Amino acid sequence: MSEKSAKKYTELSNKERMALSFQEMSLIAPEERIQNFEEVPIGYSLEEAIAEAKRCIQCKKPDCVDGCPVGINIPAFIKLIENGEMAEAAKKIREKNFLPAACGRVCHQDKQCQAVCVVGKKKEPVGIGNLERYAADYERQHNTLELPEIPPSTGKRIAIVGAGPAGLTCAYELRIRGHEVVVFEAFHRAGGVLVYGIPRFRLPMEIIDEDIEFLEKIGVKFVYNMIIGKILSLDDLLEQEGFDAVFVASGAGLPKMLDIPGVNANGVYSANEYLTRVYLMQADKFPEYSTPLYQGKKVAVIGAGNTAMDVLRTAKRLGADTTCYYRRSREEAPARTEELEHAEQEFLNWRWLANPVEFIVDENNFVTQIKCEKMELSDPDTSGRRKPLPTGEFFTEDVDTVVLSLGCDVNPMIPATDKGVKINKWGIIIVDEETCQTTKRGVFAGGDAITGGATVILAMGQAKTAAKAIDQYVRG
Amino acid sequence: MPKIIDIIINRLKSEDEESISLALDKIEQLTDVTDADKIALASSLTQLFYRDHVGMSEMISLANRAEKQITRFGSVLIPFLIDELVNSDAESCAHLGRVIAVNGANAITPLLDAWNKKRADQYALINLTQALAYFRIPEVLQTLPEMLIAAGSDNFQLSSNAINAIGKLVVRIDPNLFDEALRQQMFDASFSHLSDSHSLVRMQAARTLGKLMEKGLLTNAQQEKLRAAYSAILGKDENNDWDDAYIVRHEAKRYLPLLKTTPTSVAHYQQSFRIISKRELCAKTFHYIIEAPLIARKLQAGQFIIIRPHEFSERIPLSICGWDSEKGEIEVVIMSAGKTTVQMNEMNEGDCFKDIVGPLGERSHVRRYRGTCVVIGGGFGTGAIIPTARDLKALGSRVIGVVGARSKELLIMVDELEAVCDEVIVTTNDGSAGIQGFVTNALEQIIKDEQRVSHVLAIGPVPMMQAVCELTRPIGIETMVSLNALMVDGTGMCGACRVSIDGETKFACFHGPDFDGHKVDFDQLTKRQKMFVAEEKQALETL
Ligand SMILES: Cc1cc2nc3c(=O)[nH]c(=O)nc-3n(C[C@H](O)[C@H](O)[C@H](O)COP(=O)(O)OP(=O)(O)OC[C@H]3O[C@@H](n4cnc5c(N)ncnc54)[C@H](O)[C@@H]3O)c2cc1C
Ligand SMILES: Cc1cc2nc3c(=O)[nH]c(=O)nc-3n(C[C@H](O)[C@H](O)[C@H](O)COP(=O)(O)OP(=O)(O)OC[C@H]3O[C@@H](n4cnc5c(N)ncnc54)[C@H](O)[C@@H]3O)c2cc1C
Ligand code: SF4
Ligand code: FES
Repeated sequence: MSEKSAKKYTELSNKERMALSFQEMSLIAPEERIQNFEEVPIGYSLEEAIAEAKRCIQCKKPDCVDGCPVGINIPAFIKLIENGEMAEAAKKIREKNFLPAACGRVCHQDKQCQAVCVVGKKKEPVGIGNLERYAADYERQHNTLELPEIPPSTGKRIAIVGAGPAGLTCAYELRIRGHEVVVFEAFHRAGGVLVYGIPRFRLPMEIIDEDIEFLEKIGVKFVYNMIIGKILSLDDLLEQEGFDAVFVASGAGLPKMLDIPGVNANGVYSANEYLTRVYLMQADKFPEYSTPLYQGKKVAVIGAGNTAMDVLRTAKRLGADTTCYYRRSREEAPARTEELEHAEQEFLNWRWLANPVEFIVDENNFVTQIKCEKMELSDPDTSGRRKPLPTGEFFTEDVDTVVLSLGCDVNPMIPATDKGVKINKWGIIIVDEETCQTTKRGVFAGGDAITGGATVILAMGQAKTAAKAIDQYVRG
Repeated sequence: MPKIIDIIINRLKSEDEESISLALDKIEQLTDVTDADKIALASSLTQLFYRDHVGMSEMISLANRAEKQITRFGSVLIPFLIDELVNSDAESCAHLGRVIAVNGANAITPLLDAWNKKRADQYALINLTQALAYFRIPEVLQTLPEMLIAAGSDNFQLSSNAINAIGKLVVRIDPNLFDEALRQQMFDASFSHLSDSHSLVRMQAARTLGKLMEKGLLTNAQQEKLRAAYSAILGKDENNDWDDAYIVRHEAKRYLPLLKTTPTSVAHYQQSFRIISKRELCAKTFHYIIEAPLIARKLQAGQFIIIRPHEFSERIPLSICGWDSEKGEIEVVIMSAGKTTVQMNEMNEGDCFKDIVGPLGERSHVRRYRGTCVVIGGGFGTGAIIPTARDLKALGSRVIGVVGARSKELLIMVDELEAVCDEVIVTTNDGSAGIQGFVTNALEQIIKDEQRVSHVLAIGPVPMMQAVCELTRPIGIETMVSLNALMVDGTGMCGACRVSIDGETKFACFHGPDFDGHKVDFDQLTKRQKMFVAEEKQALETL
């Protein structure tokens, strides 16, 4: 960008900026994208990015920054994009968020920064997520990422349990403070839900691999196939292995099941199982990759959250006639608006206000039909929520695969194997909110393990809080 | 009439990109080219490397296409190309280097010959080092001594080129091929040039040292030396000014952060999963001892592991039939059932499994029983009951083992079981060994003969476990079974392994694998195990 043209933009008045229209991100056409696992949104071009950046009015008191769980300086990075300083923009984001390419794609901006964007009061809010993705992709494509300098070793060693977003963030934050960090991961691959849950068409795997490589370069060590609690206990880490502190980021891995007849039928999966088979174990390439997936012709997905959308769209890509069953109406669907819209474009069937009551099986225990009760919504109760009420009317439909996407409870492995780590009645690990310290000395926790299934950025935010507290703790 | 070759050669001389491109198309279509024609064509094609690019937007891609055609003509061209190389200019040298390097090992000796002949010609040596930098084969290491000498040359261009080439080799060749002496020489040769008077040489030295470090070829002491050097270059050392050349500082800045302060060793968490021994027990069934020290240290009777033998494999749960925590070894029995178990049984001593996780599941239910304990094994389950039998016996119970098989040849692990039981009874369906019949016949006999039977453990095929439970249920003998449900992660995260225990859903991998047999819904388990029969068959057919 020449100096002259950059200047021209800064001369825009707020009124002119407000008059500019939102830059939609192009998507691959639904007919085409359901044939493969390619990423659906194509990403801004340079022109689109700059045009969108111009829409930001550079608020003196930017609400968006408060709306961001890790406090990215949003107007500053958007200004840099407007000026064509893309590498600098990425650097600015990285001051607060070291997974920008992932967050630009999967964050719920519509419930965070974009929800409070001042422009959004009158018009479509600034496409902060799209711009974050643009800057991050620019950095990846042009290799402008610089490694931070690591201060001389403090000699303190920290063990991280789990290589999901929380674990990775804590590892990064502690490493750049000069500590030695070892990440123990149960699977053979790092990334947590980002690799075994979130589909490739929303978050290409290379992105996570690059982030892991970056951490390895700055000296974070990864060890795979290590289930902490089994192969080494927390006490082993703290005593025998000489770690000064442990950060537990084992996520919310325990799938919720329904308690209705037929739930253990063949062909009934949890979303975790379904997505793990497809993405981590690559069952989509069966039989070249050996993990099988009984992929029927008619797939029923129960639930309407983000995970349900991911399963629906995955099943569609594997060639099934796919239907969503949800006991409330579309308005109550917990999925992020954009995910729901993208799903709706993909030739799926929707059964709103349908509550599954039975999975009907054949003599070999294979599911053949789903039986649902029709529901209706109550008037808003005192909490303002509308409850689904049974109507006594039922319907059945043929299916040969059911995927339960009902959310997850906290992974019980760590509390089950160390009684010092206390949990509340929902199985959530209890921590001090200021420090993320658990009830066990030297053990901290963050991410889905202390919230139940939440979001990537919240997990990262907690990991940063924990990292600060761990830093203080190990320095004494 | 002019030959087609001559026409092509003429066209290649053209100033018009279109004509050159057409000539290249023609070459691509040529078949059965004689060696003489190959050389004639190559000498025209290499001329493209020297062309000026200014005003010729397609020239770079044309030159690349020329490279491809030369490569296609194979190794007859090596002498010609080397002759060309030694006299070429900087840019063409890169093209020529690449096309020579494609020939791999065949080109090494001719290059070394050329080196010997041209030893006095530094210009030629610069080009030769550049070509060597493109090789990816181990044989290129033969040339390293010459390059190390060249690195010490007074000619700064030769010296920097040689150091650069060494750095390239470090990146391109398997780091394990550099022995200790070579590593030391490469380090010394580069390190001594960090104080060269020429900035280009310093830059190449700083970069090659960085690459040596990145590939893990430096000792801790060398890394410390390098850290001090980089810091000095960047002006972080009070006794030294910073290096006044930006290009040198730039390299130092890039690599300094990569130098680990005090490297935390994670080597002792890395298990090799190497097969130490393999022994055939019966047809399609093998016993393995595997190196897995961390798992061996933690195992308890009744627990299991999950193996992923190869990158493309499924995760396969396996019971443990023994371990040695001192030696760091675990023992498993693998029975070929489908694609992945067949592939595992094709592996041999010295091979390594890709991943193993464990120990998984809960410890078997063991305590001291007043009455007799009966442990029953069928198929691979015969191995799986051994650790629990040993524990029961160690706690002071009387333990009787029962092993069942279709016939004598299929009996496994009987001696090993005898070593940990007071008595072992064998049953075969055809009567070829022990009692004729099923394990339940033996169990009935034991119940009759012993004063009191307090505890039964059965591991094996589902019908066998189910039959045992049907026998003990009416007489109220506590009976545990180990459920081999289909699994994915084995840690309680997917629910693939769900089983119904007294009407309640449990995860076999996390809550089990041992359960009270009288509460198990065996019918559901049997049917769930058949979930992927069609896919399993399809997978097996790919073998
Ligand atoms: C299908 C799906 C889609 C989602 N989509 C979005 C989205 O679009 N946007 C968004 O913000 N959020 C989304 N989420 C939620 C988000 O992924 C999680 O909130 C986030 O990943 C939580 O991070 P974490 O690090 O706490 O846990 P996880 O990502 O769950 O990582 C935990 C890691 O710990 C490992 N582990 C567990 N136990 C042990 C042990 N004992 N020892 C060693 N390692 C262990 C696990 O193998 C795993 O790698 C989605 C979740 C799912 C399932
Ligand atoms: C806790 C547990 C412990 C086990 N211990 C051992 C052991 O010590 N040694 C051993 O050889 N095998 C053991 N198994 C069974 C082993 O995991 C399966 O044989 C294996 O997964 C088959 O994989 P495959 O790809 O070779 O065959 P597939 O093609 O997947 O299956 C081929 C056939 O094998 C049978 N099969 C598949 N999975 C299972 C299973 N989980 N249990 C029983 N039968 C199955 C079915 O009849 C199937 O049709 C155990 C299973 C579990 C769950
Ligand atoms: S609130 Fe909206 S307009 Fe204001 S600074 Fe943030 S992104 Fe820009
Ligand atoms: S194997 Fe996944 S929960 Fe048991």
